[in-house]
Amino acid sequence: MKQAGGFFSRSFVRIPLILWSLAVLYPIFWMILGAFKSNAEIYANPWGLPESFSFSNFFDAWSNYNIDISVFNSLIVTALGALLTLAMAIPTSYALERIRFRGNRLLFTLYISAMMIPMVLGWIPLFFLLMQLNLLDNIFGLAIVYAVSQLPFSIFVLTSFMATIPKSLEEAAAIDGMSPYGILWKIITPLSTTGIITVTIMNMIQFWNEYFMALIFLQTEQNYTLALAIDFISNETQYTNAWGTLFASLVVAIIPVIILYAIFQRRIVKGMTEGAIKG
Amino acid sequence: MVQSKRQAYMFLAFCLVPTFLLFSVFTLYPLFNGLYYSFFEWSGSSSLGEFAGLDNYRRLFSDEIIPMTILHDYFLVITKVIGIMILATFFAVALTQMKIKEAPFYRIVFFFPNIMSVVVIGILWTFIYNPSLGLVNSGLEFIGLESWTKPWLGDEDWALPSLVLPSVWAGIGLFMLMLMGGISNISKSYYEAAEIDGATEWQQFWKVTLPLIWPQIKISILYIIITTLNGSFIIVQVMTRGGPNNSTHVMGSYLYEQAFVKFNFGYGATIGVMILILSLITVIIMQFLMRREKVEY
Repeated sequence: MKQAGGFFSRSFVRIPLILWSLAVLYPIFWMILGAFKSNAEIYANPWGLPESFSFSNFFDAWSNYNIDISVFNSLIVTALGALLTLAMAIPTSYALERIRFRGNRLLFTLYISAMMIPMVLGWIPLFFLLMQLNLLDNIFGLAIVYAVSQLPFSIFVLTSFMATIPKSLEEAAAIDGMSPYGILWKIITPLSTTGIITVTIMNMIQFWNEYFMALIFLQTEQNYTLALAIDFISNETQYTNAWGTLFASLVVAIIPVIILYAIFQRRIVKGMTEGAIKG
Repeated sequence: MVQSKRQAYMFLAFCLVPTFLLFSVFTLYPLFNGLYYSFFEWSGSSSLGEFAGLDNYRRLFSDEIIPMTILHDYFLVITKVIGIMILATFFAVALTQMKIKEAPFYRIVFFFPNIMSVVVIGILWTFIYNPSLGLVNSGLEFIGLESWTKPWLGDEDWALPSLVLPSVWAGIGLFMLMLMGGISNISKSYYEAAEIDGATEWQQFWKVTLPLIWPQIKISILYIIITTLNGSFIIVQVMTRGGPNNSTHVMGSYLYEQAFVKFNFGYGATIGVMILILSLITVIIMQFLMRREKVEY
């Protein structure tokens, strides 16, 4: 028997790998190139290289389709949602991981099982709840909903991360007279930085990309997040055929994700696979 | 610890209570309230409508679109499980066992669609399926199969199958990585022993790799089922809005249409209860079917 992976079988295996890479990369590159093409060029030569790079599609999306407002809204929702998730998840994760109290396991299970429950059912009552709280069609309301929706995942990752911090540090600090609040803030939080960054990147990508809750809970155009604005432009495109503008706005949506992925590729992969394995 | 019991309780409350309150208000209360709404006839006016008993549930069972939506959801579940698992397993084995130099490149590329927004994926693929400009039809024309070209997303028979490819495209990376994690934990000595016994690579895959990564396979399948039943409506909403002629409606998109387009909130909640029950039953059945003795060599 030859070693696994002889020259021929390796070349044979490369064919599907290369084909799938093309299937992934080609549409993405093509979308980016399309953002620089004029509409006439998109029609004449939809899948080729642009003749000249023009930023007019971006200007059009930015000023005529008011992408600027929705980018701003998305940034606020993303940042606020991520901060709020941390504010809720860090103390709870610490208590669930380190403090023994009656109902600890039950509470943990409750949070974790919420990851597997279809939230669609909850969206109808949530709609009216937000209405009563004057948070419907409000990006701050959406940020709260987002933050709570990512709470189970964040608690799951943070508790498993905090479990790896040695207990001796807390014990030493307690003997020196540090309050539990001080221990949480000055010892546990800094030592959990890696876990906190992983969770925050995952949550930010999630919030930046989210579409359906925004569709339900936001109504007026000036409150639209980027995902909604793009969906809006996409529907208009059926009549205006302004494909270039649509691609430009897609590029605006995808660039922050590409940058985060380029920097934090390992953490993102780890965060997502761990998040999935909880089931 | 030198703190009083009272202080300890205060700290515990500080850690747990605010978070749990928000979680209860924005997750638990809406879920239970959704169950409650399903017994009301309600179009969203200020006060909760009339108590309707089981009327919504009767309507659910006589609604002709409901069985279609269930069928469509399970069609997506089955095709996605098969498509993703076969490709992800193949890629995972290739990238871990074949000593391919550029393996990290494939890993990075294949995973990227997993973190793209469904809106971006949906719009991109709507264009790929575009009848006149799209890649699919131009590709078919290029290889001389003009007769196969069709308005994919506008064709009642082809719209739903056309949604499978984007979902597989977007999902494969994550599951490939989960399986790769499993494979890299398998000790090399098993393969060496198998080779000494004269097992072919194919036999090694079936007898060594597959049984040992069964836990990862099981989790992946369950995860695909859960995310499809709870989330397939997002890509449907972006790409077809349930059309043409309801041929791509899934349970979630039908719920959205009933509740937030037609304002039948009570009936929408009833569909939500159905989604909840069906996904729980499916997960329990699948867990039972995939139960298998833990393999250790």
